[in-house]
Amino acid sequence: MTTYTICIFTENTIGLLNRITIIFTRRRINIESLTVSETERKGVSRFTIVIKHESREEVEKLVRQIRKIVEVLAVFGYLNEEIVYNEIALFKVSTPLGSKPLDVETINQQYKAWVVYWGLDYVVIEKTGNDTEIFEFFGYIKQYDILEFVRSGRVAVGKTEKGLVEYLPESEWAYYL
Amino acid sequence: MEAIASIAPEVIETTPSVSNTVPKLISGSEALMMGLVAEGVDTIFGYPGGAIMPVYDALYDYQDRINHILVRHEQGAGHAAQGYARMQSRAGVCLVTSGPGATNLVTAIADAQIDSTPMVCIVGQVAKRLLGTDAFQEADVMGVTMPITKWNYQITNADEVPEILSKAFYIAQSGRPGPVLIDMTKSAQLELMTKPFVYERCQSIISYRPRRIPKQEQVEVAARLINNAKRPYVLVGHGVQIAKAEDELRLFVEKTGIPVATTLLGQSTISTDHPLYVGWLGMHGNYGPNVMTDQADVIIAIGMRFDDRVTGDASKYIKQAKVVHIEIDPSEIDKIIRADAPVVGDAKEALKALTALVEPNDHTIWRNEFRKYDTIEYEQITLPELTSTEGKIRMAEVIDMLSKKTNGEAVLVTDVGQHQMMASRYYQFRRPNSLVTSGGMGTMGFALPAAFGAQVGAPDRQIVAIIGDGCFQMTLQELGTIVQNKQPVKAIILNNNFLGMVRQWQQLFHERRYSFVELQNPDFITIARGFGMDGQTCDKRESLSDALDTMLNHDGPFLLEVIVEKEENVFPMVPAGTSVAQIRLK
Repeated sequence: MTTYTICIFTENTIGLLNRITIIFTRRRINIESLTVSETERKGVSRFTIVIKHESREEVEKLVRQIRKIVEVLAVFGYLNEEIVYNEIALFKVSTPLGSKPLDVETINQQYKAWVVYWGLDYVVIEKTGNDTEIFEFFGYIKQYDILEFVRSGRVAVGKTEKGLVEYLPESEWAYYL
Repeated sequence: MEAIASIAPEVIETTPSVSNTVPKLISGSEALMMGLVAEGVDTIFGYPGGAIMPVYDALYDYQDRINHILVRHEQGAGHAAQGYARMQSRAGVCLVTSGPGATNLVTAIADAQIDSTPMVCIVGQVAKRLLGTDAFQEADVMGVTMPITKWNYQITNADEVPEILSKAFYIAQSGRPGPVLIDMTKSAQLELMTKPFVYERCQSIISYRPRRIPKQEQVEVAARLINNAKRPYVLVGHGVQIAKAEDELRLFVEKTGIPVATTLLGQSTISTDHPLYVGWLGMHGNYGPNVMTDQADVIIAIGMRFDDRVTGDASKYIKQAKVVHIEIDPSEIDKIIRADAPVVGDAKEALKALTALVEPNDHTIWRNEFRKYDTIEYEQITLPELTSTEGKIRMAEVIDMLSKKTNGEAVLVTDVGQHQMMASRYYQFRRPNSLVTSGGMGTMGFALPAAFGAQVGAPDRQIVAIIGDGCFQMTLQELGTIVQNKQPVKAIILNNNFLGMVRQWQQLFHERRYSFVELQNPDFITIARGFGMDGQTCDKRESLSDALDTMLNHDGPFLLEVIVEKEENVFPMVPAGTSVAQIRLK
């Protein structure tokens, strides 16, 4: 099984998520993670969908089927080595009085994770990185009582020098940020 | 199809030119009517109901410009719109209410999607404030139709109407055509637009750019392959007729001397008596065209998608050949069969470009190899079927006689099953665009409403529906629509009291275990008369000719029931999941 990251640029319209995910469902391809947000271009959304698949050919077909959707502007399928990618994870860790104190220095320096919220008897730690890095940190922090753990979908940009502007010319899509 | 894009924008404004007058604001329903008129819509197939009533109310004032045809069931509206679209080469329009009205249309939408038929379906929806509350006759039509439409959109305010309608027609009719659905809330139908109505025909969409003109490099690669081929073979699909590229196809094959076969939906693209035409492909296609597929060195597939009914086991299909695939939908390239030379573009444009680059050639020896299989098929199947003197009438005899009596110039609209395959085998198509059938979806019940729609779309052509007794009972209520609208549709029921194709499979692959395939049929002619349609039954070989004459000469619609051989099989046959070379003659 190879991990593929599918990046999809679309117009920002209601129901499009459904239309896109149906294409995966119909081919019985499980979505490992999915992230959507509006891009720096007004009205343009970016989907980042991670799947695992045995056949590159099938993934190429999938990409073409997604491209067929009327509101889809561009679709790219990437292997892990072709992208820079990250996820974000939040760990809610129990810190009641008398428990083992957190080793903040290790958390910061070794794992590049940060405490982003101090509750009365818990803290929330944020860790960004790829899934391996996040689970390495998970392995470390589980010695404390993890009350909640949540991991975002992947966000990714291609390593090619081409920018978005080559696919979505600026004359057509103004920046809004 | 693309002609629409070349027409200059047609702008309709309701704002009076004098600036100091207050513009009249119109409702969403009226805007819809004005938009339909601006799109040149002259016919709508529909069925009213609660959630579409404001649109029907607006339609009342547009009866002089838009002919609304009241069908008997929404599925009939969909198939009629498909028949109309195939004849007119532009979108058929359906108008139905929410909930069951929309869900009844679903089969026709799916059928139009898989056979690339342009259709615009306008569906009523509950008021905006009721959306998602399980209100009366509310169904999530957007969700239901998302996978089976080219595009769908829910209009929730009247101001959206002009832009969405023009987009709907543009998307349905351009590129690879398909069905588009507009779900319109009752509140959007009733409320007034907040701005003057301006209608501009959609010319392009930023995220949707079908490529009509193929890249020259792709055409050059394809031309080189074709010029070097020893045993080239052209496979023609529906896309050639959609692109109206029949003449370009003929010029291309006549210049190169390459034999041509068609898919089921590609039939009639080239006249069956053209010397380069070798027959049709697929599960029940002709013997030679299927077998020879495995001997070609270059396959030139035009406007076809390598459906499994054509390829049989795709893993064993044309492994020996280089493939040129001309197709307007890039997602079809490499989907089933890897293309060595893909040419993405409209078949008309691609063939023009290709013909300019290919060299004249003589492939007589290669072409003649098809003929020996023709002879085998003719002697073992065709001749016995056409010269049978015993037992009941054979389906083949009916179609053959119909073909001769109509000089191969009628439009056949067939349903799905044995009769469909027999119609394809034995009708000698002389004119383009003469077969309307449900290919990809295989929808029983398609023919009667589609024949009606085709007749409305092509009043000057002779339309003959070929229907099985099982299929007929799925949509026979549309006899009422035909009679009410005085359309001279001729319908032939080939009645064997069986779901014939299923029975054939049960005979061949399930040890004759005829599981629920025998029908107790009603008296079809009495039913037709009940609807006010003339008809007669023919069950004797010697009266078949007279019966067909009576039908064809009848002024108005006519139902001819022919009692045919009960257990007849369609051969040749490529059993499902086998390779095309394993085609069986018995």
